[in-house]
Amino acid sequence: MASGPGKGVSRTARGSAGPNPAGPALRFLVGRLLGGAAVLLVVSFALFALIYAAPGGAEQALAGPYASAEQRQAIRETYHLDDPLLTQYGHYLRSLATLDFGASFLMREPVTVSLARAAMVTLPLLLSAWGLAMIGGIALGLLAATRRGGAVDRWVSSTVVVAASTPMFATAILLTWLFGVKLGWLPTVGSGQGGIDTLRHLVLPAVAMGTVLLASATRVTRSAVMDVLDSDHVTFARSRGISSRRILGNDVLRNAAVPIVTQAGGLLIALTGGLVVVESVFAFDGIGSLLTQAIGARDVPVIQAVTLALAAAIVLINLAVDLAIFGLDPRVRRGRGRG
Amino acid sequence: MADRPVTLSRHTWRTLRARRRQTPLLVVAASCVLVAAAVLMIFPGVAPHDPDLIDGAVAFQSPGSQYWLGTDNLGRDVFSRIVAGTRTGLLGPLILAIGTTLLATLVAVVAGYLGGHVDALTGRVIDVLYAVPPMVVAIVVVGITGGGWWIALAVLLVFGLPINIRLLRSAVIVRARLPYIEAARTSGFSGTRIMVFHLLPTIAAFLVAVFFLTFTYGIVDLSALSFLGLGVPPGASDWGRMIAENRAYLFQNAWATIGPTIAVVLVAVSANVVGDWIYSRYESRGRTR
Repeated sequence: MASGPGKGVSRTARGSAGPNPAGPALRFLVGRLLGGAAVLLVVSFALFALIYAAPGGAEQALAGPYASAEQRQAIRETYHLDDPLLTQYGHYLRSLATLDFGASFLMREPVTVSLARAAMVTLPLLLSAWGLAMIGGIALGLLAATRRGGAVDRWVSSTVVVAASTPMFATAILLTWLFGVKLGWLPTVGSGQGGIDTLRHLVLPAVAMGTVLLASATRVTRSAVMDVLDSDHVTFARSRGISSRRILGNDVLRNAAVPIVTQAGGLLIALTGGLVVVESVFAFDGIGSLLTQAIGARDVPVIQAVTLALAAAIVLINLAVDLAIFGLDPRVRRGRGRG
Repeated sequence: MADRPVTLSRHTWRTLRARRRQTPLLVVAASCVLVAAAVLMIFPGVAPHDPDLIDGAVAFQSPGSQYWLGTDNLGRDVFSRIVAGTRTGLLGPLILAIGTTLLATLVAVVAGYLGGHVDALTGRVIDVLYAVPPMVVAIVVVGITGGGWWIALAVLLVFGLPINIRLLRSAVIVRARLPYIEAARTSGFSGTRIMVFHLLPTIAAFLVAVFFLTFTYGIVDLSALSFLGLGVPPGASDWGRMIAENRAYLFQNAWATIGPTIAVVLVAVSANVVGDWIYSRYESRGRTR
């Protein structure tokens, strides 16, 4: 399953093969950016239409259940809620174009402020979970692949099958129970007051999110490295008497890098779903909690902003992965596609 | 993917290793799947208490002979609720797995066999949908519409399809170019007949993989959604719901939370292990031929 979203790369690159290596790269980049913008446009419209069609609109969120009919009407007029869908969407797009995301109904502050505050909490969590998964996964995967069939490999492989299918919130609950309730070592609620306290609050959520992804990173690394180890050029290098260490560095890692990088991006994207759940378990005030709170309170501008931010992040991650592969794999760079 | 030519020696060696490695884990996993299936089918007879019976007098009982895993904050029997939780906990993923397998197979076989514009269009759509994390879409869509369990199921089905179609399509494309398919076409067999009787059986291993992978993914995502309060109504005996509602009482009766958590983990992991095993068996059988 390693040949992931990279397929688009090879196709694009193949179509524009030229003598100048910067040409296809540039064209590729521009194409992807335009595609990303189109994706964001589609997401924003789909979301807008969904909110438009949903029962219990924004006026209920703004006015609360006790508002009079006149108050509701006033709100509907202020926010153009009686206009047809496309007109409303036009208004919305126009404000988006000036980077105005509106104000949160709930917190009475610009959405960008809420979003930035939550992002500052979420980013360390996201990056530490991702770092844990990638470093641990690559190390374990390499270890297992180079000792194929041995005790380490068997142990790693069966642990990976178990860990990869354990739901993130289940890991989170079990960790809370073990380290928070039974042992009392680490805090299980909130995101900390800064400094060491923040770090201590980060440990359990990061481990909870990282474990599942560490398992998939291990699995992909192991099979990617084993594929390369099985290839003829490694056998040939061995027969020439080149040391295992050099083979690992020169042949194996360079060739296995493409599926591993693809996976790294995939994991980061998969983390966005887990983020919501894990932040909810640990009452972490990040992007995930912001989204669930906004949905619960029908805080429409926040829902829109968070979803668009997530979509933009996903587009950027995919772009970064494709660019990394472009740099890593000379076959893609020269427009020959991947083997 | 698994379609490179493989030398026999390596294959035999790999299979042997895989068998030795997987046996103990597999036995445990297979028993878990069977027990879960049995509980689902005969559930009213198994539950020792009424799962929804509220009795404040027996709230927060510790595990014991009468209440095997104790009671929750409303005095409901935790074990009976876990048993009753198989309804949404297993039926949902089952529906998801069956639906995904059928739809993904249909699209993959037709697109892969016909090729050309149909296949190109399918590929484009998949490329776009592929990067979308189903869980985030489900949270947003179910949250905004206030829609229930079926909407959650539908969203997970639609956004879970691309990865499975991609997996199956690549398997179909390789096989559709083999000489025997060409021979069948030359013999004047209809496209439908070739797809159903000549292509479909050769990708059976992939179908099994898709089924079990989706089942696992269904357990994980559906229970996570109900944990967030999306999907099943409050108070329902659903594993994710139970975990969310009893979490605040971890100190009073931890089993009310840990019990359903273990149930989710056991079923998800077991389904994955069994699927993995069936897939590798089918796949290795295909290789020796």
